[in-house]
Amino acid sequence: MPKITIDGREIEAPANAMLLPVALENGVHVPHYCWHAKLSVDGSCRMCQVEIEGSPKLVIACNTPVREGMVVRTQTPAVQNARRGVMELLLVNHPLDCPICDKAGECLLQDYSYAFGSRQTRTKEPRRKLQKRKEIGPRMILDQERCILCRRCVRFCREITHTNELGVFNMGDRSMLDVMEGQPLANDYSINTADICPVGALESKDFHHKLRVWFLKKTPSVCPSCSNGCNITVHHYRDRIWRMMPRRNDAVNESWMCDHGRLNYQQVGDETRLRQPQLRRTAKLQTVAWDEALGYVARTLRDTVRTHGAESVGVIASPHLTNEELFRLGQVVSLLGTKNVDTALVVGQGDNLLIKPEKAANARGARDMGLRPTAGGLNVAAMLEAAAAGKLRVLYILGSDVWKVADPQALCGALEKVGCLIVQDVFDSPLTERAQVVLPSLTWAEKTGTFTNVKGRVQQIHRAVAPRDEQPSDGEIFSRLLNQLGEGQWHFEATAVLEEIASAVPAYAGISFARVGAQGFALPESAGDAA
Amino acid sequence: MATQTVAVRRPLAMRAGFIRSAFAILKGLWITNRHFWRNLWGFIIRKPTVFTVQFPEERLVQPNAFRGMPVLVQMDNGKERCVACGLCEWACPTDCITIYPAETADEIERYPRVFDIDMSRCMFCGLCEEACPEEAIVMSQNVEICAYSRRGTLWHKDDLLVPVDKLLDTRLFHVRRGYDR
Ligand code: SF4
Ligand code: SF4
Ligand code: SF4
Ligand code: SF4
Ligand code: FES
Repeated sequence: MPKITIDGREIEAPANAMLLPVALENGVHVPHYCWHAKLSVDGSCRMCQVEIEGSPKLVIACNTPVREGMVVRTQTPAVQNARRGVMELLLVNHPLDCPICDKAGECLLQDYSYAFGSRQTRTKEPRRKLQKRKEIGPRMILDQERCILCRRCVRFCREITHTNELGVFNMGDRSMLDVMEGQPLANDYSINTADICPVGALESKDFHHKLRVWFLKKTPSVCPSCSNGCNITVHHYRDRIWRMMPRRNDAVNESWMCDHGRLNYQQVGDETRLRQPQLRRTAKLQTVAWDEALGYVARTLRDTVRTHGAESVGVIASPHLTNEELFRLGQVVSLLGTKNVDTALVVGQGDNLLIKPEKAANARGARDMGLRPTAGGLNVAAMLEAAAAGKLRVLYILGSDVWKVADPQALCGALEKVGCLIVQDVFDSPLTERAQVVLPSLTWAEKTGTFTNVKGRVQQIHRAVAPRDEQPSDGEIFSRLLNQLGEGQWHFEATAVLEEIASAVPAYAGISFARVGAQGFALPESAGDAA
Repeated sequence: MATQTVAVRRPLAMRAGFIRSAFAILKGLWITNRHFWRNLWGFIIRKPTVFTVQFPEERLVQPNAFRGMPVLVQMDNGKERCVACGLCEWACPTDCITIYPAETADEIERYPRVFDIDMSRCMFCGLCEEACPEEAIVMSQNVEICAYSRRGTLWHKDDLLVPVDKLLDTRLFHVRRGYDR
């Protein structure tokens, strides 16, 4: 472990480390553009120059390995002069686009210009004209004039996605960034290049000209779209989500997330969402009050269990619910005494970077919370068969994934025969059309709780936007059902329910929100996945 | 603790003060009445002796640099100059500006799809004008924002647009001089 001195402070650095990350980790801010923690060193921007005792010239911190006894200075006049020079060169051809640039407010060129640049422009020559607003892919736009040629995006496409769409063309002061001929930036991770671009050259079409970034409020969360559970930050304002960005977690998603997950937030603010419970008294569904709908559900479930036995009730759970909600649902199921419980899960394509085949955030959590058939219980297909044969009288379906996974004919046949279909979902679907009772669900962005990813890492999500009309979460719905079905006062408060889980589910022993923290909590290896 | 009665004797000076304030009220009434009758008489004989503007038939001519309500500069092609950068929205101390940007095919890529100012909250401070990098929002001479409902005091983009040549000699001139642009 070499000992080095930065600005008079002794620091112990890991061997073979480069100077820049060591400085940053120890709170010494050395400005930099081209260096990125998850990409190789490029050394092209020269912004990170520092003074090292014994070296005749300034050196770039991102490409200088630490050495025992190294004495580094980051604030000397020579360093400041160099930074001012780099800034001036970068701005020679940079357009005055800040008022219309999506990056304004989180742009490193702006920030460093304030901190290290000079206030005057000395050049009188016209600025270089290049292509603006160039569509370089289905989800990305390039403004070549704004590019500062740091090559972060080029390295991303070379080293992370191995797709090589981007490159720097021409030489010297004619260099410019572009996509390769006939090779649009269309990979599944393309919007990450907009995140790592230090300026507003690469922009996501989805967020283009939508909102100034300084209005956005940020809530840490977890992507709901597959079982990888990428850590994200939800950017919201006026109770609406405007974009999602990856949050670094080296054990899960490094600094990245896939485009599909990133753009999969529209459903939260969709106007066609279900908001009120509905009941089918006559041929048509009618909006009713919560108490009435839940009272009806509880009565139906209780009466069916009493007259036809618990095995005439089936529950199909949703892997989009949080662990806490699923745990409560499990309590409903055991109170009813039925063994017919399973989870409908959409399985699709995965890749070897982040995307996993299981297309739900909490598939593993649903298994861990016991929402799968136990000895003598029926799985999804068997439940549908039983329903078609008239043996299953009440079917309680959460989410609409079953519509995507089950054999359509079997499903339609079963739904026709079943006496009472209860559907709890975010949107109208062919299921709600056939339902006796429809209960609206909340989306992940309106809930607080935990998801368990495919590797058994428990991670937190937080309420980013408030639900409309104080709509209850799924967990509250289950708690109210428990109140109606049996004795006792049930409440739903995620922290308290996680404590219950900690004592009831062996694999989750000792878990709490504090232990889960911002980066998640890995379940012990021995708690193998039940799949 | 037992209750106790305390007889307070007001000092003489205080009682005299009471009489003095009664006198002050009378004096105030006298002044108001005198003005009222004198104005009324002047109005009847059409020779007003005091400075009273007969609003709304008469209006003051405001000085050129007057800071009334903020308006949006309209370019010669009829469009707003604003590019929806959001700086005025951020600068406004009363949070009365609401902007939703959108993209256009024009050279300046973006424009405000929605630009609302809640005039009932605006205090004519002019910070929006100072923040604007495009000279797109300036203070005007207008101060009349009364409406029959709260909704009526919410001015939309079309209400706020004022052609640029109407502003060139007035506030825009002072903006350019004052902010050294
Ligand atoms: S587009 Fe952005 S990330 Fe790519 S080289 Fe230019 S400045 Fe760097
Ligand atoms: S890989 Fe999965 S978890 Fe990660 S961003 Fe994409 S959908 Fe979300
Ligand atoms: S004048 Fe002041 S209060 Fe009125 S809109 Fe501008 S910044 Fe806001
Ligand atoms: S500061 Fe000027 S250009 Fe920016 S949004 Fe306000 S009026 Fe428009
Ligand atoms: S960060 Fe070191 S040269 Fe760019």
